[in-house]
Amino acid sequence: MLELSLHIMDLAQNSLAAGATRVEVRIEEFLAEDRLIIEIRDNGRGIPEEMIPRVTDPFVTSRKARAVGLGLPLFKNAAERCGGGMRVHSEAGHGTEVLAWFRLDHLDRAPLGNIGETMGILITANPGVDFVYEHRVDGKAYRLETPAMKEILGPIPIDDPAVLEFVRRDIEEGLRKIGAGTFPKTLKLLK
Amino acid sequence: MKLKEIAGRLEWELKTPGVPLEAEVKTGYASDLLSDVLAHAIEGDLWVTRQTHLNIVAIAVMRDLSGILLVSGAEPDADTVEKALEKSVPIFRTALPTFEAVGRLYQIGISGER
Repeated sequence: MLELSLHIMDLAQNSLAAGATRVEVRIEEFLAEDRLIIEIRDNGRGIPEEMIPRVTDPFVTSRKARAVGLGLPLFKNAAERCGGGMRVHSEAGHGTEVLAWFRLDHLDRAPLGNIGETMGILITANPGVDFVYEHRVDGKAYRLETPAMKEILGPIPIDDPAVLEFVRRDIEEGLRKIGAGTFPKTLKLLK
Repeated sequence: MKLKEIAGRLEWELKTPGVPLEAEVKTGYASDLLSDVLAHAIEGDLWVTRQTHLNIVAIAVMRDLSGILLVSGAEPDADTVEKALEKSVPIFRTALPTFEAVGRLYQIGISGER
């Protein structure tokens, strides 16, 4: 996939398909260590332990594995291509955590893409689900969480189209403030 | 063939107005993996890609490529265009996907010869 936000959209949809009522997306950039971490955590029904090696194998096509889709194998591949990796931790009945790490400035690391729009769509399309988006850059943090947003919005429903625009802009501005990198800065000649 | 003539014949849209298009183009390279382009593109290549972010300009500068053709209707990011104008890297756009875009280039005599 051309952008990491598309992977995140795909994995969040896995979470929703697994009946999650809370989905947390956490991104952290460690500049000195040249490392990017993306974590998607949900409280869905989880993946049975014996299934975990299978969900990262694109050639396994048992019906259960197919329901998970290609999201995990493609995400794993994207991470491994950039000197990183992916790990899935899940407990049946409790939820799933997908953790991927990348070399932040690897030339082939996909840009983050429009994560504001991704989160905005997820939030407004799933009003009954709580979402958290957290992005850290060397300790500076941006955080958006829908339970708190719902309180502020009061009578305005979370699936109001204006909320999509608000989330998109809030994330965009928030990421700019903490100096989040949208794409790898390997090529210093551009500075 | 001059870049300007190729772009005209294949009806590409120029995204970097004012950038010189006089380069003589003989060869091309198609890939969406930036490390692959850095390793295998040669000077003067016209690069066909679906990637749109700023680093494509850097690759074009480092490898002295004659230009970049974005396929499948992809639009370059705003900062990509800005940097391409600054570094005089021509960026074009076509609605055609890679396979079709490269096929047409081959038909008019642009090869992938290394």
